[in-house]
Amino acid sequence: MPDPSFLFAQSLSGLTAAMFLFLIASGLSLIFGVLRVLNFAHGSFYMLGAYLAYQVVQWVGTGTGRFWWAVIGAALGIAILGGLVERLLLRHLYAKEELYQLLFTYALVLVLGDVAKRLWGTGQLSISRPPGLTGALEIFGTRLPHYNLFILILGPAIALGFWAVLHRTRAGRYIRAAAQDREMLGALGVNVTSLYTGVFVIGSFLAGLGGALVTPVKTVVPGMDVEIIVEAFIVVVIGGLGSFWGTFLGSIVYGQVLSFGILIFPRFSIFSVFALMAVVLIVRPWGLLGKPLR
Amino acid sequence: MQRRIALVVLLAAALLVPLGASAQKPIKVGFPIILSGPGALFGEPAAKGAQMFVDEINAKGGVLGRKMELVVRDTKGQPDEAVRVAREMILKDNVDFLVGTLTSAEGPAVSVVAKENKIVFIAPIPKTDQLTAPDKLHPYVFRVASTTTIEGRSAAEIIAKWPVKRVATIAPDYAYGQDVTKSFVEHLKKIAPQMEIVDQQWPKLGENDYTPFINAQMAKKPEAVFSSLWGGHFLNFTKQARPLGYFDAIKHNMVAGGEGASPESTKAMGADYPVGIWGNSYDAFYWDDAATTHKEWIQKLAKYTKDEYPSSWPIQGYMGMQFLAEAIKKANSTESDKVARAMLGLSVDTPIGKITIREKDHQANRGQLYGKTVKDPKYPFAIMKPVTYVDPTKFMD
Repeated sequence: MPDPSFLFAQSLSGLTAAMFLFLIASGLSLIFGVLRVLNFAHGSFYMLGAYLAYQVVQWVGTGTGRFWWAVIGAALGIAILGGLVERLLLRHLYAKEELYQLLFTYALVLVLGDVAKRLWGTGQLSISRPPGLTGALEIFGTRLPHYNLFILILGPAIALGFWAVLHRTRAGRYIRAAAQDREMLGALGVNVTSLYTGVFVIGSFLAGLGGALVTPVKTVVPGMDVEIIVEAFIVVVIGGLGSFWGTFLGSIVYGQVLSFGILIFPRFSIFSVFALMAVVLIVRPWGLLGKPLR
Repeated sequence: MQRRIALVVLLAAALLVPLGASAQKPIKVGFPIILSGPGALFGEPAAKGAQMFVDEINAKGGVLGRKMELVVRDTKGQPDEAVRVAREMILKDNVDFLVGTLTSAEGPAVSVVAKENKIVFIAPIPKTDQLTAPDKLHPYVFRVASTTTIEGRSAAEIIAKWPVKRVATIAPDYAYGQDVTKSFVEHLKKIAPQMEIVDQQWPKLGENDYTPFINAQMAKKPEAVFSSLWGGHFLNFTKQARPLGYFDAIKHNMVAGGEGASPESTKAMGADYPVGIWGNSYDAFYWDDAATTHKEWIQKLAKYTKDEYPSSWPIQGYMGMQFLAEAIKKANSTESDKVARAMLGLSVDTPIGKITIREKDHQANRGQLYGKTVKDPKYPFAIMKPVTYVDPTKFMD
């Protein structure tokens, strides 16, 4: 029997991974829920967010607070990029079959991947932890790095903020309504076009934010776009595509299964996650908290 | 009259030109190497070293009067992609030879292509023993890299001298990681029977969240660790392990194989590098006790790559090409069979000294540099001090 402090450490590491995933997957799920577009390029936005954060750090240096400028700057930059993509390109495909939208977002993955390679090369880039969050906390005999603690707090905070916006504001009501019946919403006089842009911008912001925040923990490297989009898809499939709390739950399940999976199948860490996804797909194809498609 | 002479001269020239051109046809060498993803950190400079050799030899008039030409392609670190790229270079680009590949998954895969096409293939980087194992060996495959046996045993020799009992390993779960860990464990058991292997972690190659593996390893309380996470994988691992107190817990008693102390790795990590661990590298520009030929090489390299702290990987690409060129000269031909025979027992004065390809298994006696990493005020990143070249001869079966 492994000792409890180790199990605790393992669950914490799973939770941290889950909160990172939630940041990414929530944007993906939101965009799908409202726009009904499976945005493959979401991972590319995440990667560009990481590269942008690195770039801003190069410009402003690594002094106190500078890292946060980089994070906000990168997230905003990606939000603008997302807005442009939706306004100028994706918009023309809403009337077309879903296949065209899939192909379009996949093409974006390739294009943005090459753009990143052109701008930042193929080497690995790295950012250090921001000053102030370099230490670690000692709890129950394990060490929890301050930065991980920050992520553990930020994840649920964003989830709650999100929930509040969706359920307590007018814009949130429109977003939920658009997810239910966009034509009806348009007929009632709501500007669905700008609502779509807004949702896409928010989703992209979250991807950029996730990318920027992950830089102190992982290196920035080409290929991180495809890696994360696969993980994010697994999360939303487990949790339920388009379901907000489903994404949250899916992330946590993913993180824990990965963390504890290596104890049971040490050499097949990924296997446990895929096995779980397969089971969910067979038993509840619409995900843990999703609703069956109408 | 004059016009007629001019015409004749022109005609003769026209006839001669194609002949001249064919005699001048370059010797084409395919260089499949990883240029994207975490492996690019090592792949890109290796390709640069190969190109440097080609530029040098062409400036001196080439080999057998023919220029050399390098065709570099990205393998993405995937064996299937490496095979595809190698085939394409043979069929479409008509390359005469193959030098290259980086991972131990790619090397053996491309070796099969070389065998099928009867094309000499020199592997400058993949270390897995399987590449030149008796059942995989064929007349066209050669290696100027170190091997997993050499590396695993070298690391075991270092750890065996430490006052520790509980030893653990962490390795990427594919040919290289498995083979080097096996060699390490076997050799350690032989030379330090008092030590015990208390934990072995096997993250997949390219894993990006090492935290669960780190926690699991720390729970077994090892006193020393042999790691073979290489390139960017080691950087990701370190970035996550350091704040968890991993290196403090093992008191920095780690040998980071997979070139964990190469200037590329310490440079890319900067202040995040776990200074105090041991590591290895194929080359080190700051190697003070090196021979003068090595110092000249470093100067040349610094100039060529316009980097005052040049990379440790060009030497492998350079050596691979050097062996090929010397074999072509010795064979006085570019025919695969003749060049392959010329490779056997061939000795070359490389930047790191005289290296020989054994006839028995087509393996070069290439050792690596080992040392404990320290902070040196002269450089903005950690270096090994002192640097020791571990002679591989005693570790080669």
